[in-house]
Amino acid sequence: MGGGVALLDYNNDGLLDIFLVNGGKLDDPAKLPANFSRRDPAYWNRLYRQNRDGSFTDVTAAAGLADAGNNYGMGVAVGDYNNDGFADLYVTNYGRNTLYRNNGNGTFTDVTAEAGVGAGGWSASAGFFDYDNDGRLDLFVTRYLDWDIGRNILCGTPFHAYCRPDKFGPVTNILFHNEGGGKFRDVSAESGIAAVKGKALGVAFNDYDGDGFADIFVANDGMEQFLFHNKGDGTFEERALETGVALSDDGKSYAGMGAVFADYDNDGLPDIVVTNLALEKYALYRNEGGGQFRYASLTTGLAALTAHSSGWGVGLFDFDNRGWKDLFVAQSHVLDNVEKIHSGLRYLEPPAMFRNVAGKFEQSSLAGLPPVAGRGAAFGDIDNDGYMDAVVSVLGGRPLVILNRGGKNHWLTLKLVGVHSNRDGMGAKIQIGKQWVYATTSGSYLSASDGQVHFGLGSDKEATVEIIWPSGTKQVLEKIAADRIVTVKEPE
Amino acid sequence: MIAIIALLLALQAAPELKVHVDAGLKAKSAGDLDAAIREFQRVVELAPGMAAAHVNLGAVYYEKKDYSRAIPSLRKALELNPNLPGAHGMLGVALLAQGYASESIPHLEEAKADDVLGVALLEAGRAREAIDKLEAALEKQPDNPDLLYYLSQAHARLAKQAFDVLSERSPASARTRQMLGESRAASGNREAAEKDFRAALAMRPDLRGVHFALGEMYLGSGDYENAEREFRQEAQLAPGSASAAFKLGVVLMNRGEVRSGLAELQRANALQPDMPETLLELGKASAAAGEVALAEKLFLRTIELEQASSLAESAHFQLAQLYRRLGRPVDSDRETKLFQEIRKSRK
Repeated sequence: MGGGVALLDYNNDGLLDIFLVNGGKLDDPAKLPANFSRRDPAYWNRLYRQNRDGSFTDVTAAAGLADAGNNYGMGVAVGDYNNDGFADLYVTNYGRNTLYRNNGNGTFTDVTAEAGVGAGGWSASAGFFDYDNDGRLDLFVTRYLDWDIGRNILCGTPFHAYCRPDKFGPVTNILFHNEGGGKFRDVSAESGIAAVKGKALGVAFNDYDGDGFADIFVANDGMEQFLFHNKGDGTFEERALETGVALSDDGKSYAGMGAVFADYDNDGLPDIVVTNLALEKYALYRNEGGGQFRYASLTTGLAALTAHSSGWGVGLFDFDNRGWKDLFVAQSHVLDNVEKIHSGLRYLEPPAMFRNVAGKFEQSSLAGLPPVAGRGAAFGDIDNDGYMDAVVSVLGGRPLVILNRGGKNHWLTLKLVGVHSNRDGMGAKIQIGKQWVYATTSGSYLSASDGQVHFGLGSDKEATVEIIWPSGTKQVLEKIAADRIVTVKEPE
Repeated sequence: MIAIIALLLALQAAPELKVHVDAGLKAKSAGDLDAAIREFQRVVELAPGMAAAHVNLGAVYYEKKDYSRAIPSLRKALELNPNLPGAHGMLGVALLAQGYASESIPHLEEAKADDVLGVALLEAGRAREAIDKLEAALEKQPDNPDLLYYLSQAHARLAKQAFDVLSERSPASARTRQMLGESRAASGNREAAEKDFRAALAMRPDLRGVHFALGEMYLGSGDYENAEREFRQEAQLAPGSASAAFKLGVVLMNRGEVRSGLAELQRANALQPDMPETLLELGKASAAAGEVALAEKLFLRTIELEQASSLAESAHFQLAQLYRRLGRPVDSDRETKLFQEIRKSRK
């Protein structure tokens, strides 16, 4: 498990930095409470600041992120929860989670206790979003299983293997409402989020029914997926089965791990991709409007491309700037001895790129990338060349920083500045032509991507941009020249 | 029965015998087998030429599962009187339990004990005869797991015998490599299996079943491209094979080839109508192709045939999706409920 990674510009220097969540080492499995040796520098989380020349410097200690406590690290969420213009970090763990407030001077402070977001249990992916459009980012935390180290069991015959999730009970996810003043309130019960228990690993946000309120998709492992419909009154209703996103096309559950909630077919309706284990086929649910989705893995070619692979971190971005969002997946089977159990499968896999050709996916080459135990994946334009890059975390290995060599197509990146809406405009819907992008740092698996909004423009050298801010304000920007990063402030 | 009559006659002649016989029977019915043995041993001492005395002693040892002591007593009884079916039965079982399968067979034949005889024949290496006896026994006890187990063992042994003959007489033949490939594929050794299958096809490109087996192997690891190629070749070799058409259809659907997948599934259904697996996949293909009325009919037929199986579960799910897309929420909710009920009952 584990493998959170984030791409963020923590010091607002215009260059994306990398934050990596580390796991931990259990010295004595029999000793309770569990101690994962996170005070050992080998198991710290790590922040790498990007330098002007494209290299990175480890600034973990200087940033105040050195001591990660003794909980096993899982994922990371990024968001400016206090609207001060600096990206904050929320790190999920097996055990207490940590909220690091960005002090704006290159350092962070652990404000978990005063913010009231420690949670507990076994957290996985988390994400900041503004579910009630009050201008403050709220926090959703997925939790995986009802497990603790004192109740561990062994599975696998004749080869030792991770136990299937059905060996453990489900748990509730947590929704924290941002009360302002640096404080959050657990509203899981009153919002309806805690009405269902799951085995969650991934989370992604978008407004699937266009009612102006962010909905939540949760990827569950080995059971039906969840789609929490935001009713706009502070409450949610789980509607995955009714909307057609709970199960596979056979009505079977699968190992939902990573999730992305974005419009792949340029029809203005956000679709959902869920990564899972080999032989399950990554699930693509096409939003058909009217609050209904249709399983489209087969008809889009994604099933054939992914049936033998296991996916985790996932992103839908226009990597070649042709005007269609392509699919990037960090891959690897969950079992490091899977070859002994099924000789047709492999533990280590290279990341995959599937090119979107007018709504159908085709294999695209990521030449030179090694097979790795890929887990988290974060996306952003690391070298500011207008082409989206990726960072993949690797279990027991160095992360992959994958720079996109780009091409000749044009592009446009928007840095949103909310006024009535939250400071970074998370939840804004941006349209250029037929393309729609939902502003978010969330999605993928345990990871957070850059919150800037990227569009590929193909041969177009300028674009008209329409923005619907979370506040409801609509903004149109005419004839914006391509190939640059534009800061867009929400109208007063 | 004969032993009991003889015993009664003897009892009239010797009153002391009666005392020990009565005591033995009483101890036996009380479950005190050691006391019963002591009493029946005394009976044997008093009437060593009486078969019934040895039967009674052997029967107590038999009940005690002390087969090594039961065997001599029962043998002696049958030596004195060969017409004792019960003694034959007990001796046969005792001998079989001690591993003397061949010796047990004539006794079990005398006892007409088809079930145990089947096992004895199997253990004696006479699998073909064992199958006859086990099938006869299964007619009386169709759900007996032991009999079903031994029947499968008998068939497996026959199959192995045939394979041994094949590999001995034609070690390099295409059929030998095909058989090896199937065996290795079943045990999960894919790479070796693939080599065997390829070798078989190199020798006899028209061999039926090899492309199918390769296709199954590729399909099982999510390699649809290679699976399609193999099933297509199998379908060309055996155009009348519903299985090949079905698998090809499934793979084509998974590759997003809706029209050609639909055609193959229709062909499979025409070759072997009303197979639930085909009906379900054909329904899904029809729905994907926009032929919703046909899809509905196929799902309903699947449910009619399958009731509460995993196929019925899936068919209810498909119907729920179909009805929701058609704007029939009441029907969709009903099918969703039925789907969930079956799903819950199958967990």
